[in-house]
Amino acid sequence: MKGEKLRNLSFFLSPMIIMVGLFYLIPLIFTIYISFTKMRNWNIERYLTEVVGFYNYQRLFHMFQHDPLMRTVLLTTIVFVGITLIINVFGGLLLALGTFFINESSASAIRLLWLLPRMSPIAVYSLVWYYFFHGSNIGTLNSILMKLGVLSQPVPWGQIVPWGAWSIIIFVNGLVGVSFGMIVFTSALNQIPKELVIAARVDGASAWQISRKILVPMMKWHFLYVLTWQFLSLLTTYPHLFLLVQWDLVSRDYGTTLALYVYNTAFGRGEQDQGLAAAAAVLLSIIGILGGFVTLKVLQFEKMIHEPRGDIE
Amino acid sequence: MKGKVGILLAMVVLFGVIASGCIGSQETSETKTTSVELTGDFVKDVVAIGKALESNGVSEVKFSAWGSGDPNSVMRVYGIVEAARRINKVWEENGVNVRITITDTHYVASFQDAYQEYLSKQPLGQAGDFFVNSYAFLPTLADEGYILDITEYANAYKNVIEDFYPSLIEASKFNGKLYGLPQDTEARPLYIRKDVAAKIGFNLEGIEENVKSGEFTWSDVYYWAKKAKESGVEWGLIHRKGSAHPDLIQFIFAFGGKLYNEDSGKLVVDVPAVYKWLYVEWKFAQDGLLPKDIMSWDWAKQIHPAIVEGRTLFDIGGTWYWTEWQTKEYYGKEGTPRPLKPEEVQAWFAYTLFPAGEKGLKPVTLSQPFVWMINSKAGQQNPKYDELKDLYHKLAFLMIIKASDPDINAIHSVISAHLPVRKEAAKLISDEKWLNDLKNLNLDLDPQVKDNIKDIVATTVHPINAKFLADVSYMLEYTKLAPAHPKSPALADIFKEAVDKVLRGEMTPEEGVNYIIQKINADPELAQNVEVVGEIPKDWKFP
Repeated sequence: MKGEKLRNLSFFLSPMIIMVGLFYLIPLIFTIYISFTKMRNWNIERYLTEVVGFYNYQRLFHMFQHDPLMRTVLLTTIVFVGITLIINVFGGLLLALGTFFINESSASAIRLLWLLPRMSPIAVYSLVWYYFFHGSNIGTLNSILMKLGVLSQPVPWGQIVPWGAWSIIIFVNGLVGVSFGMIVFTSALNQIPKELVIAARVDGASAWQISRKILVPMMKWHFLYVLTWQFLSLLTTYPHLFLLVQWDLVSRDYGTTLALYVYNTAFGRGEQDQGLAAAAAVLLSIIGILGGFVTLKVLQFEKMIHEPRGDIE
Repeated sequence: MKGKVGILLAMVVLFGVIASGCIGSQETSETKTTSVELTGDFVKDVVAIGKALESNGVSEVKFSAWGSGDPNSVMRVYGIVEAARRINKVWEENGVNVRITITDTHYVASFQDAYQEYLSKQPLGQAGDFFVNSYAFLPTLADEGYILDITEYANAYKNVIEDFYPSLIEASKFNGKLYGLPQDTEARPLYIRKDVAAKIGFNLEGIEENVKSGEFTWSDVYYWAKKAKESGVEWGLIHRKGSAHPDLIQFIFAFGGKLYNEDSGKLVVDVPAVYKWLYVEWKFAQDGLLPKDIMSWDWAKQIHPAIVEGRTLFDIGGTWYWTEWQTKEYYGKEGTPRPLKPEEVQAWFAYTLFPAGEKGLKPVTLSQPFVWMINSKAGQQNPKYDELKDLYHKLAFLMIIKASDPDINAIHSVISAHLPVRKEAAKLISDEKWLNDLKNLNLDLDPQVKDNIKDIVATTVHPINAKFLADVSYMLEYTKLAPAHPKSPALADIFKEAVDKVLRGEMTPEEGVNYIIQKINADPELAQNVEVVGEIPKDWKFP
């Protein structure tokens, strides 16, 4: 009987285990290994076996100590992840709740509108904001404000450090990320029995009261999921940041997060230092694992896990 | 029963193995001549390689060409297409039944992106067989074994190699070995708007000579830039941006500094020269003569329009600007943006060397030659690559020898306003009849090549442009090369950051120099490769 149970478990879990092993575990092990080699310029044949111990980590920590940009990278990562996370999670929640209380066709249109940034190709989407926030009079924002007489000369928004640069990267990524929370929370709201809401309505509860007392408490699991997922996603995201920094829209110092630093170090235009980048990526992974663990602990993830009530045997 | 099935299966497998072995043995063919010694006689060598390939059963050789750059520089890939046609013609005339096919002409605008793509695809065997890019990337590619060492091959072709300008051949070397042939080069003149100069009483007569003699320095540039600003012109000076475009490091040379120590093989941060460079930038920006945010200006919407519309007196650019202004719609003063006419470019712009930093020093210009490089895996998409590698590599070398034919090089120079790399090509440019033939595309060229360059030829082949190239050719006598060192791009990035901060007023020139040194020392690997020499000069005055 025990063997049969193991066979059943293996059968159902194997696709997941293979996927996790192939796409998560092996790359992680490979990244850790590369961080101990002198790998650069994609020259696997030459450097894969050239193990240099903790050299890349020592170099990285030396740079953290002495390079002002590295400290800025860490600070930017904290601010970017922290504020964008709040926008993404609570923005998604507000949108889901907001569209819950209006008629379905209007709600669908609003949801679609908020999904557009996610559906747009990254380069196109980033280009829109490049021209919108451009620091000269070719920038749409500057042009509008100058025509309205608010500004007498253009403002280099992305070069006002730190908050100008931070605001742009947070805004651009926040717009993309908010739709993820909106979809998950909308899905969660649709699972809540309508009778509860109707009963509350009959008792005279306002939308705010219904949201606060009924809907939000019943979405705790989804809230935890969106929070953790978005945290890890923001920690590792870089495509929009890359373009905005590359196009000189935002200050390089205050537009570079740790994820973008890893990308630029590994695949930048000068020397491509994959060993050093792998060391930074390992650091990023450790931060991600610790952050994810803390989030789950704080929101008491284990209390939400119950033994199934039915017997599956 | 189970045992019988097992025996049967084993017999089937055994039969399969034997059968496949028999089939395989039928396909195996004897490899004949796999090596040909290059003699320096092009036709003889091409025919010998062709015959060797033919005797090994090869009837088609496939190559791909990767290039990059401004829209007018497409001969960087079509030069290879034309070379293939010319070799095919030699084979046809000599009864060799082999043909070269160019499977892919991959041309992208950004030469840094092209390098990045090459770097990532070469180890996978997916990069182009021919790669034309800046010599700045050559050391890394050579060091990693990604491009072919052609020193031995070139020894047989000394007659061709000697026709190249020696400094450009030197730029194609790494550790004393030759890794490519120069494809083009350029100078970076200081453009001066004639109409703005006339408005402020700036007499341009003899300016070239004054710059050459070191009489006209950057203090004079400042003086006239300020005059222009005071007369209502928007800017005194516009320059390029970014770290991959090494225009601004001309300041280091103009102030008598250096970037490389040949004895130690290390990059150099020449503190006095770097300080003076940053000070000049800072002074221009602080006094409103140069945009503080120029390093984040848009090329097409801000930098070029400001120059062609006469909103600045001076511009630090490249020779290729001359034809780029004639093909891109940068001029929007009359409402609808349009390209300039050759007559307009000639009437509006004077050009000189990059002036000396101060009296007693020399003017400079800077070149960043592009180089034909051969993939160290060139020819791998062809049959029997392992056995015939030597033949494919030598054929690839002969391809770039052919692609360097004077007429191919001269066509590229005229239509893209880059300077020729061979003396013979320079002669052609000044030949009026040849120019007329080019204008009418009355040349012996592949139809595919003609088709792809006809629009560019129509707008750029003009006596005015040929005269411009002839006029600026002397600048190569003053040219400097940015060091071809694997750590050079990292240092260039730091310079760019420092210039940006100084221009914006976030740092003083002194703080800028200290920032550069701090950034270098923060990376132990960079620190090992860079020497910091000299000190910030006391009591130095500009202008």
